[in-house]
Amino acid sequence: MKVLIAGAGSVGRHMAEQLALSGHDVRIVDVEPSVVGDKADGGPIDGVTWFLGDACEVGFLNKIGIETIDVVAAVTGDDEDNLVISLLSKQEFAVPRVVARVNNPKNEWMFNEMWGVDMSVSTPHLLTALVEEAVNVGSMVRLLSLEGGKTHLVEVTLAPDSPALKKEVGGLGLPREAAVVALVRAGHVIVPRNDTVVQGGDEVLVLVSLGSEAEATDAAIRAALVG
Amino acid sequence: MGLFSRKKSTNGEVIAVSPSCHLDDVVPIGEIVARRRVRVVGEVVRMKTRPAQGVASLAVRIEDETGAATVVFTGRRSIGGVSLGRLLLVEGVAMNRGDTPEFTNPEYTLLPREATKA
Amino acid sequence: MHIIVVGCGRVGSTIAPELIEAGHTVCVIDRKPTSFRRLGSQFAGDTLVGVGFDRDVLRAAGIERPGGVAVAAVTSGDNSNILIARVAREMFGVENVVARIYDPKRARIYERLGITTVASVAWTAARVTRKLLPESVQPTWTDPTASFQLIEQIVPKKAVGMRVDAVEELLGGRLVLIQRNGEMRMTDPAMLLQDGDRAHFLVPADTANQLTTMFDRAEGGH
Repeated sequence: MKVLIAGAGSVGRHMAEQLALSGHDVRIVDVEPSVVGDKADGGPIDGVTWFLGDACEVGFLNKIGIETIDVVAAVTGDDEDNLVISLLSKQEFAVPRVVARVNNPKNEWMFNEMWGVDMSVSTPHLLTALVEEAVNVGSMVRLLSLEGGKTHLVEVTLAPDSPALKKEVGGLGLPREAAVVALVRAGHVIVPRNDTVVQGGDEVLVLVSLGSEAEATDAAIRAALVG
Repeated sequence: MGLFSRKKSTNGEVIAVSPSCHLDDVVPIGEIVARRRVRVVGEVVRMKTRPAQGVASLAVRIEDETGAATVVFTGRRSIGGVSLGRLLLVEGVAMNRGDTPEFTNPEYTLLPREATKA
Repeated sequence: MHIIVVGCGRVGSTIAPELIEAGHTVCVIDRKPTSFRRLGSQFAGDTLVGVGFDRDVLRAAGIERPGGVAVAAVTSGDNSNILIARVAREMFGVENVVARIYDPKRARIYERLGITTVASVAWTAARVTRKLLPESVQPTWTDPTASFQLIEQIVPKKAVGMRVDAVEELLGGRLVLIQRNGEMRMTDPAMLLQDGDRAHFLVPADTANQLTTMFDRAEGGH
C-alpha cells in the first residue's frame, strides 16, 4: 500500500517506521527542514521517502505522486492543517482512505466527511477513555468511534451488581444495534457465542451502530450491563 | 447548428450545446476512470439532500446514455440553476462509490440546450 | 447588517470601523486581546476573544442574528480563514462570506465551496468590503460623458440560469465579464449565469442602481 504521512513529528515518524517495517511504500512530508530526511534527528528511515513541502498545496501534492496514494494520514500538530490536507486529498484527488489526527478535542466535530476525513484519532480523547476504562468498573466507556461517528466501540467492566451476571450473551437483552464482539476475562480474549455465560469482572466489548435512536440505544445497553 | 457541439442525451436524442463550452475532451460517463481528472456532460435526473453531521449536502445524479454519476455539493440543499432536466458539464476527479463514480464540489457549468431529434 | 470580522490584523482593523461607519453592527473576533488595540479606543463595535471557527464563539459573536449576517475571515492564516468561512457558510447558512487567501491556487478550490476569496496581494479594505456586501453596487468605471457605468455585482438569485443575451436584453446593456471560481472570463451570448458568479455589467448610468430590481421584475431564470 502506498501511504502518505503529512507531519513528521514524533507521531508521523513513528507511523512511518512501523508502516515501512510492514512493507508499505511510505512517503512522509513536512514543511520543517529540520525534521525531514538526512538532517532529521535519528536520520533517514529505511523504506521511507522524505519530502520537504506543504501538504496543503495542490501543486506539491501532485508533485509527490498523490494520484497513486492509497492512504493519507494527516497527523501534523495543527488541526487546521490536518483538515485542509484531508479535504484536498479527498475532494481533489479522491484518495480512498484519509485518516486524521485531532489535536484539540474541541475541534473533533469537524473531523468527518465534510472535510474528507474517513477516520480520526484524538489522542487526548483516547487517553481519557483509557484512564476511564482503567478506573471505572461498572460504567460504560467509549473507546473508539468509527465511520465518522456512526459506530462506536464501548466497553463495560461488569460490576458485582450488574444485571448481566450469570446470563448468557444471547440473553443479555441488548438492543438490535449492539453486538458483543469480545469478552476479556483474566487477560484472555473470549470470542463470545450466544450461550457464553458472562461473569463479574468480565470486560464486555460492544460494537454499537448509532441510528436515529442513539440515546435510547445507549440507555438500553446501560440497563442491560450496568444496571 | 453547425457551430454547436453535439451530445446525445439519455434517450438517444441528439442535443446541441453552446459553442462556448469546449466539449472536445469530454468523455462518456460510463468511461470515467476514478482518481483521474475528467470532463463529463450529463442530464440531472435526480436530486437528494444528504444529511451529514448536522449539515446537509446536495447529491445530484447525472446520466448520459453510457452511465450515471453522482455530483455532491457540500453544505447546501440547493443550487440555483441545477434542477431536473438540466445539462451539466462537470470537471473534476471522481471516486468510486460502489458502482457509481462520485464527484465532490467539482467545477460545473450549466449548459444551454438546443434540442434536435437525431 | 451584522458583520463578524475574524482576525484583527491590518485588514480586520481597517474594515471594522469602515463597516460601522457604513451603518452596520460589527463584532471583531481575535485569539489575542492585544490585537484589538489596532481598533483604537473609539471603536463602536464589539470585540470577542476566541477562535473564529469555534461554533460557540461564532454564536456569541451573533452569527445567528436575524436580519442578515456577513462574515469576513481575514486572519493571517489561509487555513484558518477557510475553516471559518466553511463553518459560517455550511453550518450557519451565512451567504455573504469572504475569506482572505494568500495562495491563489488554493483560492480556486475554495471558490467552488461557495466561498468568495480575496487574494492577499490584491486586497484592499475596499475590495473586501465590496465583496462582502453584494447590495453595495459600486461602479468601477464611468465614461467621461457620465452616460455609462461598469458595475461589478454578484449575480442576483433571480438571474441564475439565465442566458447572457437574455440578461443583456433585460438590462439594455452588456454583460462583459464573469468571474467564476476565481477565474475571469469573457462572456458569450449563450452562456448561462451560475450561482456565485460575479458579473461585470456595462449599463446606462441611470439604471446602475436598479439592476437587482430589474431582475426581480422580470421572469427570472429557468
